[in-house]
Parts: sequence; C-alpha cells; structure tokens
Amino acid sequence: MKYHENFDVIVIGGGHAGTEAALASARLGTRTLLITHNIETLGQMSCNPSIGGIGKGHLVKEIDAMGGMMAKAIDQSGIQFRILNQSKGPAVRATRAQADRVLYKAAIRTALENQENLSIFQQAVDDVIIKADKIVGVKTQMGLIFYAKKVVLTAGTFLSGLVHVGLENYEAGRAGDPSASSLALKLRELDLPVGRLKTGTPPRLDGRTIDYSKMIEQSGDFPTPYFSNLSNKNEHPQQISCWITHTNTQTHEIIKEGLDRSPMYTGVIEGVGPRYCPSVEDKIQRFADKSSHQIFIEPEGLTTHEVYPNGISTSLPFDIQCDFVRTIVGLENVHILRPGYAIEYDYYDPRSLRSSLESKVIEGLFFAGQVNGTTGYEEAAAQGLIAGMNAALAVQNKECWSPSRDESYIGVMIDDLTTRGVTEPYRMFTSRAEYRLLLREDNADIRLTPKARTLGLIDDHHWESFSRKQDQIENEKTKLKKTILKPKNLNKSIQNKYLSKEIENEYSAFDLLKRPELSFVSLYEIMGETPSVDKVIGEQVEIFAKYSGYINRQKEEIERNKAHLKLNIPADFDYNAIHGLSIEAKQLLLKHLPETLDQATRISGITPATISILLVHLKRKNIYGSVKQKKRVA
Amino acid sequence: MHNLNDTISAVATAPGPGGIGIVRLAGPKALSIAEKICSKPITPNQFSFHSFKNAKKELIDQGVALFFQKPHSFTGDDVIELHAHGGPIVLQILLQECISQGSRLAEPGEFTKRAYLNNKIDLSQAEAVADLINASTTKAAKSAMQSLSGNFSKKINELLEKLIQLRTYVEASLDFPEEEIDFIKDGQIKEKIESLAISIQEITKTAKQGKLLREGVQLVLIGQPNVGKSSLLNQLLGEDKAIVAEVPGTTRDPVSSQLSLGGIPINLVDTAGLRETDDVVEKIGITKTWDNIRTAGIIIFLVDARTGITEYEKNVYKQLPKDINIIWVYNKLDLLNGQKANLTQDFVEPIFISAKLNQGIEHVHDEILKLLGFHDADSNEQIFMARERHVVALNEVNNHLANAIYNLKNPDLCAEDLSLSQKALSRVTGSFSSEDLLGEIFSQFCIGK
Repeated sequence: MKYHENFDVIVIGGGHAGTEAALASARLGTRTLLITHNIETLGQMSCNPSIGGIGKGHLVKEIDAMGGMMAKAIDQSGIQFRILNQSKGPAVRATRAQADRVLYKAAIRTALENQENLSIFQQAVDDVIIKADKIVGVKTQMGLIFYAKKVVLTAGTFLSGLVHVGLENYEAGRAGDPSASSLALKLRELDLPVGRLKTGTPPRLDGRTIDYSKMIEQSGDFPTPYFSNLSNKNEHPQQISCWITHTNTQTHEIIKEGLDRSPMYTGVIEGVGPRYCPSVEDKIQRFADKSSHQIFIEPEGLTTHEVYPNGISTSLPFDIQCDFVRTIVGLENVHILRPGYAIEYDYYDPRSLRSSLESKVIEGLFFAGQVNGTTGYEEAAAQGLIAGMNAALAVQNKECWSPSRDESYIGVMIDDLTTRGVTEPYRMFTSRAEYRLLLREDNADIRLTPKARTLGLIDDHHWESFSRKQDQIENEKTKLKKTILKPKNLNKSIQNKYLSKEIENEYSAFDLLKRPELSFVSLYEIMGETPSVDKVIGEQVEIFAKYSGYINRQKEEIERNKAHLKLNIPADFDYNAIHGLSIEAKQLLLKHLPETLDQATRISGITPATISILLVHLKRKNIYGSVKQKKRVA
Repeated sequence: MHNLNDTISAVATAPGPGGIGIVRLAGPKALSIAEKICSKPITPNQFSFHSFKNAKKELIDQGVALFFQKPHSFTGDDVIELHAHGGPIVLQILLQECISQGSRLAEPGEFTKRAYLNNKIDLSQAEAVADLINASTTKAAKSAMQSLSGNFSKKINELLEKLIQLRTYVEASLDFPEEEIDFIKDGQIKEKIESLAISIQEITKTAKQGKLLREGVQLVLIGQPNVGKSSLLNQLLGEDKAIVAEVPGTTRDPVSSQLSLGGIPINLVDTAGLRETDDVVEKIGITKTWDNIRTAGIIIFLVDARTGITEYEKNVYKQLPKDINIIWVYNKLDLLNGQKANLTQDFVEPIFISAKLNQGIEHVHDEILKLLGFHDADSNEQIFMARERHVVALNEVNNHLANAIYNLKNPDLCAEDLSLSQKALSRVTGSFSSEDLLGEIFSQFCIGK
C-alpha cells in the first residue's frame, strides 16, 4: 500500500541524529517525514544522562551555530552544568551538563512538532526501496510504502541489535525496545560494507537506597553556564548535584570471579568496544595495578530517583552485578532498577560515504549517527544535521556542503570517518583536531553561522543576535587598539596588582592585553574604567589578543595547504595506471578512494612522496582538461 | 607535504670540492632573501658581483648573483642563483644564511617538481619526475640513516619516545580532565619538558654540524713514539712543520696545523707518543694528547707495518672513545724490504703508506673525505645535507620547547608547542598521527567515565 503523499526527504529514526536531520531538512523548506518505531522515545538518551564534555561540548556549540536543536534542548533540560578545563585555556574549555531525560525528550519533541514542513509517523521501517542504485522510498512493518527523493538512515544501535547480560543474549535495539532486524537483513543484501561494534551501559540504581553521605558531592558551576547563544539564561530548570565514589579491591575480586561468565571474555561478543569507555571488567583486566576506579553517580532527572553510575558499564551476569555494586562505598544496600548490559549492532563502514554523508554506492541514501560507527549523542546529532541538510540541498539541486577540518569539529569527525573509517566506536577528542586553537567553543558561531546562514539554516532572529555580537566584538577591539596607555597616567599600585612588570613605554590597551597574566577585566581596572560590554564579548577580545600569534600561524598553514591539497581526485581516477606509485600505496588509495588530495594525506601509510606523485598526475590531468576546454572555446 | 608557496633553497651544484658552487633559491621570498645577503638590489637577467654577508654583516664569500624573474625561470618562480667559490663549507654557510633569512631546505627533487607543477617541463616528463621523487626520497632516507652514527640515531629515537610520552601526558590531561590524571596541575609536566629540552641541547651538540662547518674537523694523529706521525703530518701539509727526528718522544707538545681537504677546514693535530714515562715535560704532552683525542672528529692511528698491531696499540685502542672514527694507517712500507706487513691477529683493514717516500698519502686523503661524507659525488642528497636536516629540525624542536615552558600556564598553547616540536622532529623520523597519540593515551591510562 502506498501512502497518499510523497516526501522530499524521509528520515528513518528519531534519536539524536534523526531529529537533527529532520529539523535541518525541514528548516531548508523541503517536505520532510520522520519515521520512528515509537514517538514516545523521540530524543531518548539511551546511555548516560549528559550532554557535552571535552570535544563533545564543542560539537554541541557547532550544532547551535548551524541552527540545530541540541544546545537549546539541553539548556531547557539540564540539571547540572559545568565548564571543564576552566583553567587550561579557551581551546580545550568545554561545557558539560547532566540532563533530566524526561525534560530533554519533551524539548526535542516540542521542537519537532512545531517545525514547519515536518511530519512524524510511528511505524518501524522494514525495507528501503532502491531502483537502479538509487533510493526511491521506504516500506514500513505493515507494508506501507512512502516515496521520497532522499532518505536519511539514522538507525542507531537498532540494526540487528543484540543485548548481552552475562552469557544470556536477546535481540533488541536497546533494553526495552525491539531491534530493527528486518531492515538490517534487507540492508545486508545491498552491496555495502558492514561491520559489528559493541557498547555498554551500567546497571541503573534506585537513589533511595544510596547513602550519599559517604560520597563526595560535585555541584554545578555558578553562574550556571549554558550551551546555546540564543538561550534565555533563566530557562534552566532546578540545579542538583552529582556524587563521586570509587570501586575497591573487594569489587575487583568479585568481578574477576565472574569473568568466566562474561560475554566479553568468553568470546560471545564479536563486536569491538571503545577503548575510552571500557566496561568495568575491562578496566580491571587491563589496568590490574589500579586498586580503585572512580564512579560518578549522575541523577537521571528531577522527577525520578533513578541514577546512572557512570564508570561501571558491564555485561557481567546479573548476580555478579548485584554483588559487586554492593561493595562500593555508599552503595552497600543499593537496589538495581535495570541491569547493565552490552549491545552489539551493525554499522556501515563510513569510508563508503561522501563528505556530504551520502552513500557512494546508493544515490540519495544518507547515513548519520551510530550506523556510521560513532558513539555519543553529540557526534550523532552533528552528523544528523549535516546529512539532513545535504539531503534537502540535493532535493533542491543545490551543491552539498560539509565543513572542513580547519573550521569545525564536525568537519574533523566527518573527515576522519570518511577517510580513515573506524576500528572502534568513534568519539570526539580535542586531540583529533590539528587546528585545535582555532576550533573553540567560544567561537563556534563565528566559524559556522555565516555559512549556515547562506545555506538557509539560520533564521532572522538568530542572524540578528549573531550580527549584534560580532559588531560588539569588532567595536571593542577597535576601541582597545586606539586606547594608548601612558606609564605616567597609570596608577602604580593597580599595575603592581596585575602585572609582573610595570609598563615603561606607551602601549595600546590591546597590546597590553596580550600579556599572559592580564585579563580583560583587570585591564579595565588598570585603565581606570568599567567595561561597557558583556563578559562574553570581553572574553572574545582577550582570546583574540592573547592567541593571535598562534592563531595566525594555524591560519597561515591552512592557507598554504589549500593551494594544492584542495585538488579533487576524480572518482574514476585510475591509480593502477600511475607510474611510480608503490603497490602498497595503490592498494591503500583504492581502498579509501579519497575525494581530495588533502584526504589522501591523512590515510595511514600514505607517504609525502606518494602525495607528490599524485599531485604531479592530478596536475597533468587538470592541464589536459584545461587545454581541452581552451580548444573548445577557440 | 610541502607546498608551492614557500621559498626553498639548496646547493645546486654537485657535492664535493669544485671551482664554483651554486646556492639556488626559488619562491616568492627568493629576491628579498638574496638582497639581504648581498646588501643591495639585484637586477633580473644580469650578472652582478656581490659580497655575500650574514645577518651580522660578516663576509661569507664574494661571488655573482643571478636573478631569473618569474615566470622566466627553471621552476617558474622567482629564482636566484648565488655563485660562490666552490667548497662545501662556504656553500653550506651560504645555504644556512638563506634558511635563517626565511627559506626552507628543499626536499629532494623539489625544484624539478616545482618546475613541473608550474608547467615549465613538458607533460610527458611526469613519469620521470615521479621516478626522481621516488629515487631521491629513498636516497635521502638512506643518507640520513648513514649520516647518523648508531649512537646519534639512537638518541634521536629516545628523544622522540620522550616527546610522545610527554604529549601523551599533556593530551590526556586536556581530553580527560575528570580521570584523575591531571599532570598539568601536579607540576610533573614542567620537569619533563625541561629534561627534554636539556636532552635536545645535548644531542644538538653531538650533531656537531655547525661546529664542523665553522671550525672544521679535528684530526688527531696518534701512534707509538717514532712511528712516523710527524712525517705523515708533514706529507699531509706539504711543509716541514713538526720536528722530525729519530728520537722517540720528540713531539712533546701536540702540534696543530690547518689544512684544507676538499674545501673542509681540518685541524690536524700531531701528538706526543702515548707511553708510560717519568719525564715531566713528556707527561704534560701525553695529557694534552688525551685532551685532543676527546675532541677529535677523526683519529689516524699510525702503526709500524713491520710489527703490526701490538699490545701497545690494543691498550690505547681500549681507551679511545667508543663512537670515534678511526683510520688505521700502516707506515714504513719502505722498511719492509720486500717482506709482508705483519697482519696476524689484526682486526682492521689498514691503509699502507710510506710517509718518508710520500707513498699512499692520497689514500689517507680519500679515507678522510669518505668519513666526512664526501665520497659519493653522484649522490643527490649528500650526507652533509641529510645531517643538516636533522640539525635544522633539532633547532626548531628546541625553540618550540622553550615556548612550551613559557606557556605552561596556558596548557592549550603548551600542547600546541609540543605538537609543533613533534612535527619538526617527525620530518626526520617519520610521521605520527593523532590516532597513534590516542592509542598511547588509552594504553597507559584507564579512561572511562
């Protein structure tokens, strides 16, 4: 049976990738349908109840800068906000928040239901309809067919999801939800490279049975930070604390006793898990000399007693889980509400995707989120935004766009995925970014909002607010550059308070701000004035002054690389015909099929000499091309 | 991967001694760099005579500058050729000046590659260019390995390991602040950077490149009393400088003379024979000899061909520094009277000479040049150049580490400085990706909030 209306873009899945994809597509004015197996779980946080953190907070701010929803939703639902790495420099400073799961879901659902051009439909998708390597629609569980020009697949861990608790296992998309096994089987029939990954969660605990008096309290920052530049600072709900406790040698002994019934250590689980988020049994095996591991007790919300013990994800049998949890200080009498488990799922090798996240194999089919081998809500949402936007742009016959490594973490992630692929669930870290000093949380809007505006993702309200901020920053910079400070006019005691050395010559206030020990606020004190701009503006000006040397160097490097590395490598480029390339290099290039010379440089095993040879040949191709064109014109 | 907008420079003439040598510069800054060195404007397409001077306005050499203006040049960029007097030292110093004024040492085959990319070479030559890049890269890598004594390359690798370890700590502190592994906070990082900086300074000293260029190589003659050291010295110098007499212990003070071999200044030191003695004056001479040996680049160990290596030589050999270059020379060929030299039990392949009759001296010359890395005149990437790359990289690492210490209170900048240090070092040791770094972090620290 065919549904009576055709759509431009269909998004399969209503998680963090799916919802951002649907919103971005609809925002660009294309008729969009989001199909989910359960409307009640739209925007569900399946794992830990938090958003942001190092690298991840950067992604959330970038999503916000491009008109996405995640930042606004967490601002409306966050119950503890902190700035991590506060003292380690603006580039690695990152915002993190604990979420009330119910409020978060509600914020996302409200946004979806109020988005123009967007419809929602509840039904599991069982098949994708493909004609001549081109997607034309999807078929649901009850046989309903929806036709669409483009489809975005965001199935998360639901494709052949297999949940493990001890040696027991069962099919599920996550605990409590069915897996999408029919869709997975159909997708496996397509000629797409598929693999298995694994992730896990800890047992969830009943907060009424926890003795918090034995734990260390960790409260949020004050004033409460926020993610979105557009959020009203008063819209955060009530703020509460997290708690810290530790495992001990007794915990470790019990865990070791259960290893013979661990699906990880008995070979039942085939999928590869993340090294940075190991299960507690993994931690104990791999770091045997550590007698204690940290656990963060994170509240799941304001209206529930359920808590998430972050740091003890496990797939050990339930009896072992009960025993080891009760050895932990403060959890002696704890009741487990839901057992911890590991889940294995299908992912599709992201190297078969273009940087637009469209499949190189099936035209019009876009992939985003955990199906691409990533982990984390933020990584999923960012991909969803790009995939949904590009699906819509493709419908409108516009050129697809994806940010580059030098302008965003989103670009770093998409480039890593599409050129290097994954060997474990991919998570963002700031050390993945070679231009880390440029890619800060505080300038996400400067980096991305102008481009997002031209793409059509930014509404007038957002744009005006952005432009106002930009003007203020520029005006303040100009003001400080014009303000000349003369040693004789300055108060000595105030100077001594802030400066390691009194100033001897005339300086512009801007140049003085370059000194590491001087902040924007203390500069004004020395000047004998009060700042007329917001703290956020002052911070931008200060970073601009202090980091300009490094930032300029990174910018110069980007410019230098641009000249030749931006050369596109045609999809049908014949590596075998290139004289001088080693067999190994040919194999690597054929495996990865880089889209640009720049991508080729990042393939592991490709040497500078190989790049030089490729450059020589690409150049030849270009010259031939341009010679031909010239002839045609003549 | 280097790009086309840099200004590159290299010695363009074949390595080894020659009448005229050329340093070539190509790129947007070629002219301004050359004009700084020549201290006056250079006109396109004209020969002009200049004094080449360094930044301190000290004279390096006098010669001719030629300016090929873009696009009418070999590479299609602005190209400057500085024609100086041959000899690797002058050319290396001139090249170093070009580098310190803002150019970068050209990669092997890079001038040709640029010429190609700027359409100055016919398209059909693409394959040839590819071959050139391949061949010269391999050769450069090989030269770099050859140029490094086992000890030096071991030290470079240790250094790299330390740097990676350091970055592992810093990056882990930045990416995982909630993991109880905050090394920045607890002050360990500062100590580690400082210790690394000291290692770098020490290793730069071992590289000795700059010293070699400016002051030349110290060549020390040792051997039993009266084995003919002074005669050999005289033959090498072509003058009667040392006292030559048939009495053991004649040379009581080390005699030092300047000699130019293939353009490299060599400081040749004749020493007192090393032996047990009660003579106070001679004792002083022997102490001085050991001082000279410790600073020597090359040692010529002179042996009497009639006796071969005896307990005396074995005993002295044991006391020599382990990684020093030794040339074994068997003298007094003329006194063998048709008998064979005594080679029994000898562990070396010596050069046979007669210092008295001036026979075989040219072989000693050749061996000295070979040890200095000038034997292979066909080599595209001479060893001198390969070492130069290491020294350039080490200096850069040193600067970045100094910045890292300055930036300790801004850890994100400090991390950037360390990353730049590693980038500089990886140009001579091979690359290391962010993925490798994360691998190090995960293998050393239990991450997992």
